[in-house]
Amino acid sequence: MIQAEMVEATEFPELTMRHSVSGVPQTTINAGKAHVVGAVPEQNLLAEIQRVAAK
Amino acid sequence: MTQLLNDDIIEQIREVFNGLKNPVHLMFFGSKESCPYCDDTRQLVEEVAAISDLLSVEVYDMEADSDLAVRYNVDKAPGLVIAAKEGDQITDFGVRLSGIPSGHEFTSLIQDILLVSSRDSGLNPQTRAFLKSLDKPVLLQVFVTPT
Repeated sequence: MIQAEMVEATEFPELTMRHSVSGVPQTTINAGKAHVVGAVPEQNLLAEIQRVAAK
Repeated sequence: MTQLLNDDIIEQIREVFNGLKNPVHLMFFGSKESCPYCDDTRQLVEEVAAISDLLSVEVYDMEADSDLAVRYNVDKAPGLVIAAKEGDQITDFGVRLSGIPSGHEFTSLIQDILLVSSRDSGLNPQTRAFLKSLDKPVLLQVFVTPT
């Protein structure tokens, strides 16, 4: 149910622009339903995934 | 063809790969369409896979093997699926790299291989319980730069 993809931003500029990536790492959940900037603790990322999944 | 990894680096990786526990299968997807980093990425992945007997690699083409690309949800080239392998059985944990894993991201490639080899996400029990309960797919895309 879960897929984690590391995207090399400079090679995929369109996708990077679409998600307004300004700093790395940035984690985009479900193609833009949420964005998490920086390397955050597991709890914070989980909270964002839960928020998206509850929609 | 010139090697991308020099002997010192190979020796360092070999040491790190002493920590490999179970087989890991790397599925590389290239493309004949514009893909400036496909050749280097394929070579890099093949050189890394050659360092340990627990690693195997298969090279695919996004267009020629489109059914497989769809099945593994690979939509970018170069794309890499880092999967577990038991005998002939490939188990996908959803770990993907899109783009060349160079610079800092070379470490990510090595760490991903170790993680999949351990068969343990390292996540805490609450996180695991929630992820298990998911009934809709979740895609996490982590944007990174090589420097």
